[in-house]
Amino acid sequence: MMMKKNKRAQEEMVGFALIIIIVAVILLIFLGFSLTKPSTDNVESYEVESFMQAMLQYTSNCSDNLQRLSIQDLIIRCERRRECADGRKSCDVLKEEIEDIMAESWKIENTPIAGYDMIVVLDDKAVVNISQGNITNNFKGSTLPRIKGEIDVTMNVYY
Amino acid sequence: MVKRLKIKGQMKIQQMAFMLMAITLFFILVGLFALTWRFAGIKESALALEEKNTMLLATKIANSPEFSCGNSFGGSKLNCIDADKAMSLKENINYYIGFWGKNVNNIKIETVFPVEARKDCTLSNYPDCNVIDLFEKGTQGLPYWNFVSICQKSTDEGRLYDKCVLGKVFVYSNDDEEK
Repeated sequence: MMMKKNKRAQEEMVGFALIIIIVAVILLIFLGFSLTKPSTDNVESYEVESFMQAMLQYTSNCSDNLQRLSIQDLIIRCERRRECADGRKSCDVLKEEIEDIMAESWKIENTPIAGYDMIVVLDDKAVVNISQGNITNNFKGSTLPRIKGEIDVTMNVYY
Repeated sequence: MVKRLKIKGQMKIQQMAFMLMAITLFFILVGLFALTWRFAGIKESALALEEKNTMLLATKIANSPEFSCGNSFGGSKLNCIDADKAMSLKENINYYIGFWGKNVNNIKIETVFPVEARKDCTLSNYPDCNVIDLFEKGTQGLPYWNFVSICQKSTDEGRLYDKCVLGKVFVYSNDDEEK
């Protein structure tokens, strides 16, 4: 009688253990899914991407001896430490132009936009690094890789 | 003895029924949790898709041969509108009614930077202006817009150069069919 009771108790324990194992496996699967889920905050933004494409084509007020330079040509000129035809430093002009364009296109005051940042990298060296407003966890961004084979532009807009 | 065994058997059945109910309830709760989690993702995806479609409609029009810069401004450029083409199109807009679909009410190209006082473009004041209102129908319908560069040939001290400014193209459409 005693042995029969013991056996029954053992069976119940095995059943209980099985349920615990099943539940643990399910929880582990869910945990795995939630950990591998890509961050939803970093949404690829076509708006930001289009802005960057258009901005790079913008004609700056810095010229070489032939013509006025676009922002992407100015980035290359800045990296090579060459000046504009009027003697201004190309890097100063570049920073000023990008800051003005961004301030006008992504207004922070009285809009849902909390801030933005942009980094322009040429040959693994940051040529421009602009940040304005507050950095939050809710942002949209985009990267334009290898423009003219050497320029990487990354921009994020924070909400 | 038989009665006692019967009661024990009933207890066991009851125990099993409760256990089954508990497990079912647990899986239902897990399922609900999973569904909520999944639907939250769908909402975000829908928003992202909506944004993408909005951009695509404006981008599609900006990159169409009627507007795009083509190779006129030093190589092929994306999201680039040839202002001279757009002005020419504006003058012949009667031939283009319904060309972009019957739901497109108006297409407007506006300069964002450099900032200047708003001035609508006509043949008499072009290029000293910053808004090209193609159909001149105002802002009827939902606006879909995207950033573009607006380029034109200009002169600086007698020398011809490519002048590109930052702008936005607005497409006013009646509904989502045009997306």
